Amino acid sequence: MDAIQSLLAGFDTALTPMNLLWALIGVTLGTLVGVLPGIGPALTVALLLPVTAKLPPVSAFIMFAGIYYGGMFGGSTTSILLNTPGESSSIITALEGNKMARKGRAAAALATAAIGSFIAGTIGTILLTFAAPAIADIAVQIPPGAKFALILLAFVTISATFGGSPLRGLISLLFGLAIGLVGTDLQSGQARFTLGFPELLDGIEFVTVVIGLFAVGETLYVASRLRKGGANVIKLAGNARMNREDWRRSWKPWLRGTALGFPFGAVPAGGAEIPTFLSYTLEKKLSKHPEEFGQGAIEGVAGPEAANNAAAAGVLVPLLTLGLPTSATAAILLAAFQQYGLQPGPLLFITNTDLVWGLIASLYIGNVMLLALNLPLAPVWARLLLIPRPFLYAAILVFSTVGVYSLNNSVFDLYLLALFGVIGYGMRRFDFPVTPAIIGVVLGPAAESLFRTAMQQSSGDVGALLRQPLTAFLLLVVLAALVVPQVLKVRARRQSTQP
Amino acid sequence: MTDLPPPSPARVTPSVPDLLVALGVLLLGGLLLWGTLQIPFGINAVIGPRAFPLIVSVGLLGLGTALLVAVLRGHRAEPAAEEDTDPDAPVDLRQPALILGGFVLGALVLQPLGFVLGTALMYVSVGAAFGERRWPLLVGVGLAVALVTYVVFTRGLGLTLPPGVLRGVL
Repeated sequence: MDAIQSLLAGFDTALTPMNLLWALIGVTLGTLVGVLPGIGPALTVALLLPVTAKLPPVSAFIMFAGIYYGGMFGGSTTSILLNTPGESSSIITALEGNKMARKGRAAAALATAAIGSFIAGTIGTILLTFAAPAIADIAVQIPPGAKFALILLAFVTISATFGGSPLRGLISLLFGLAIGLVGTDLQSGQARFTLGFPELLDGIEFVTVVIGLFAVGETLYVASRLRKGGANVIKLAGNARMNREDWRRSWKPWLRGTALGFPFGAVPAGGAEIPTFLSYTLEKKLSKHPEEFGQGAIEGVAGPEAANNAAAAGVLVPLLTLGLPTSATAAILLAAFQQYGLQPGPLLFITNTDLVWGLIASLYIGNVMLLALNLPLAPVWARLLLIPRPFLYAAILVFSTVGVYSLNNSVFDLYLLALFGVIGYGMRRFDFPVTPAIIGVVLGPAAESLFRTAMQQSSGDVGALLRQPLTAFLLLVVLAALVVPQVLKVRARRQSTQP
Repeated sequence: MTDLPPPSPARVTPSVPDLLVALGVLLLGGLLLWGTLQIPFGINAVIGPRAFPLIVSVGLLGLGTALLVAVLRGHRAEPAAEEDTDPDAPVDLRQPALILGGFVLGALVLQPLGFVLGTALMYVSVGAAFGERRWPLLVGVGLAVALVTYVVFTRGLGLTLPPGVLRGVL
């Protein structure tokens, strides 16, 4: 299929006035939730799922895509002006950008983050445009066993390879898988783990799990150890802009950050943290002023921000072509597709051409809108950081209640929400990452179904999985992803203890 | 696991909360295993509805054991650092309890009293837990947020939310 022709058709879909409006609503909401603490793009899409049930899928996804990209732009504003990274991929921006802001260079830091995000997002989207159909063509031929192995690979890399503690990541993943088991087994019709509640026969809505773990858990946790005194927001005078020197020092880090970020997002290994850290280290090595790093070097904001956004575009490749989410937001998007009765994967490019290409075209449009929203309006977003916390968190809880209640008009779901809120509190208190649990809830049923299909095709012979070359190779990679990081850590520790 | 502190010559006392979490993971795994064995076998299926839950529950039991061992050797969890939290602030569990209490009470009255009053109750409890003491302002904003949300979501987006005592007024 000719990607450029399909993309032009996609622009036809995305450029209708209604869809442009949805894109604008999406990027505005996305920037808003990126700026505000306590909510992220994953949670926002989850909150909006019940609300958008009456919207045509193309419009809904155009809005979701705007929220997804917008969240990345907004996050950098908070990191720079408040020195509080909303997610781990913004840690570097907070580190270096906040130092710049403290020196009175907030406008330049915000501008290099926004323009870098725009460039990385646009290049990432171009790469997505050409990579996705090519991968989809190959992906059609993947057998169920290998698909199961791919999901396993995503599970392991997301929970065990890159997190702080592999053990805690895996426990979180299995907890999510256990939640996914509740309800009626689709293949045999057996009820599982319903504890006699008829409300649980249809399973637990993942929206309830997501909102409980993210929003309610966060609210409870923040309340338990609230920072006293107002937030220390750095004042921003005027628009976000850069001088000639800033441009000269920024453009190479933008491109290098993009080159690092996209592949890391695109492989089903997950996470924008690794490429942002890599980009930071690379810029520090290449810089003529390495002494400025840690004191507010503009390269240290430009590179990681670009890497962050390119990774976000990259994440859409496995999501759209394989149905494999590698971040919490991508998992929610996958669930959103399922809500519309769509299954992301290679067939989506054939069966829902309009939707896929309209979505991709809207990413280009969204990026332009975000640049326009973020440079001149930076002071407006900065003001949002001054919303008093009691009113902000209280409003988040009310919206969470609407989102969950309106799924089934059931108060039972609200009690479940409270339960998952307490669990989300516990996960923060005891350092369990939330993302693996979300991925487990969303992908668990697909993993089980693929596993059983593969087993039935081989009449229950597990060895057949190992005789299929692609499956065997992927399972080997899974094993390596579990073992190799541990071996490296043990070796590093030995070396540090032996002089 | 990998993030253990280096073994010290002195005997380490395991942290009690961490111990409870590890036991909780084991308990969850055990309950899942017990529940798995209650699932009837599927008919005409090579791999029935039991197989996958079995993997999950045994996995949880294994990982729970690993966590228990780590905690007994002195491992402690590091509480997460969030945007609005102060890692050095004393933990005050009364505030989350206030939020939960307000939430459950709000959910209880959601049907009889209606969405607006129910969620306004939740709003006020969260605001109070976050230290807001200007009660008239808090209650006023809570009612306004609940009312605007109700109108926007029912009129604008066609959702059904319980009107309760405001039936006929709205």
